[in-house]
Amino acid sequence: MSTVVQVEHLSKEYRLGVIGNGSLWKDLQSWSAKVRGKPDPWAPIGGDSRIGHREKFWALKDINFKVEQGERLGIIGRNGAGKSTLLKILSQITAPTEGVVKMRGHVASLLEVGTGFHPEFTGRENIYLNGAILGMSKTDIDRNFDEMVAFSEIEPEFIDTPVKRYSSGMYVRLAFAVAAFLNSEILIADEVLAVGDVKFQEKCIGKMKDVSENQGRTVLFVSHNIGAVLQLCQKGILLDHGKLLYHDEMANVANEYSNLIR
Amino acid sequence: MSKTYRKQNKRKSEENWDVVITAKNKLFSLNLKELRDYKDLVKLMIRREFVSVYKQTIFGPLWFVFQPLMSTFLYMFVFGNIAQMGTDNIPQALFYFSGTMLWTFFATTLQKCSDTFINNAGLFGKVYFPRFTMPIAYVANAFFTLLIQFAFMMIFYFYFLARGVTFAVSWWIVLTPVYILQLGLLGMGIGVMISAWTTKYHDLRNLVSFGLSLLMYATPVVYPVSSIPIRWKLLFQLNPVTPVIEMFRYSVFGKGSLDLKMWVYSLVASIVLFFLGLIIFNYNEQTFVDVV
Repeated sequence: MSTVVQVEHLSKEYRLGVIGNGSLWKDLQSWSAKVRGKPDPWAPIGGDSRIGHREKFWALKDINFKVEQGERLGIIGRNGAGKSTLLKILSQITAPTEGVVKMRGHVASLLEVGTGFHPEFTGRENIYLNGAILGMSKTDIDRNFDEMVAFSEIEPEFIDTPVKRYSSGMYVRLAFAVAAFLNSEILIADEVLAVGDVKFQEKCIGKMKDVSENQGRTVLFVSHNIGAVLQLCQKGILLDHGKLLYHDEMANVANEYSNLIR
Repeated sequence: MSKTYRKQNKRKSEENWDVVITAKNKLFSLNLKELRDYKDLVKLMIRREFVSVYKQTIFGPLWFVFQPLMSTFLYMFVFGNIAQMGTDNIPQALFYFSGTMLWTFFATTLQKCSDTFINNAGLFGKVYFPRFTMPIAYVANAFFTLLIQFAFMMIFYFYFLARGVTFAVSWWIVLTPVYILQLGLLGMGIGVMISAWTTKYHDLRNLVSFGLSLLMYATPVVYPVSSIPIRWKLLFQLNPVTPVIEMFRYSVFGKGSLDLKMWVYSLVASIVLFFLGLIIFNYNEQTFVDVV
């Protein structure tokens, strides 16, 4: 077994409040005050009025963990624990403030179902568009197209209808079907199953488990649905207030989590 | 395995990681190889932009020529008839249409590129793909629009030929692709440069659209370079769009002025601004999600 994801001393800091002063003119005034050595006219009252001393907030602080190939890791925690921030960094959507993430293999992230779907486009066109956004090549999609449509349980006569005419269930099923056929070594998924009915959720979890067990893919899965996480993942990590509290077998982590929220 | 990685480990350490994510914003990390890996996405994005203009519309693809055609009629009426401004003896319809078409290509590219991060915040915040895909899709889309308009202009052109108007077509016409490329690079360069700032200061967007409508009048779209008073001429020609439009008209219609020095200046400016824009864009793309 080899390590495919290694997270070292990962931290992410966000500035609180508005970014800059909201307009270029105010930022210029702040800048000119700084140059003249005067206090910042737009600093928050009661705060430190010197430039560059605004409130900071660590969404993640010193996170370290490793994931082995073929492992399914559940990431749980309360709202605001830093789960989504962690996934955003792993997905290369935003850069960390400190620390390093090293990964081996192609990473596909699924932070939302149907990212890039265009309502005016047909189901077929959107499969290609969404697949390409998620990093698939046209030939990959061509090869899996029929299976995707079958997986989505959408009647073939609807596939050439614009997706704005779809029911929300059809939309979600189509979107997940594309993701289900991603051929990446590492799959990162965030709360994507919160949509769709129970039967379809079961099917998606089954699919993720299947690709992980049979093809050695690694899955990182965030959800508030502890049942789903327990069903899918062997290992788990528990985040709280940006810190990693616990990293163990999923069942133990889930216990810790229920103690935490009690 | 090695397909689409953003930051390849340069010195392939003994650990051999494919993706290494660090805090550092790198100045020159634009990965062209990565864009090539995403070429299917680039194609689809171009199609998405292009088709979404006319899906579920009455006139469909005709919209691509309506706008310049209407502008041409308006300019013929206002500037040609009321203001009696000259057109270097080029038939008014051709003069205004060619100017509008090129200007729209430049202005649309610039405006769309400058909104890259704001318009795609939802998409960029959910999935990683090379961000430069979007500016490329925008410029390609504007280019296809221009091609359609160019073909349409040729209808006018042959109409006037049939009516006995002669055009002393210049050999410079072979450089037409260069003129278009240069306008594209210029619009894209300035656009992506601004996109890095509109992300933080949303009020810059208003400045861009307002500035562009003013700049159009500082560009020989509705008047020829020959009508600019001598003492202002240099100032007007500092605008890198000016020599391109003038060169284009000179090449295709054989009228107007040929000023190679200014054209070379504009070409160099376009290339420099393009690369500068690329660097600034690239520097900002990694953290824009936090400030948009």
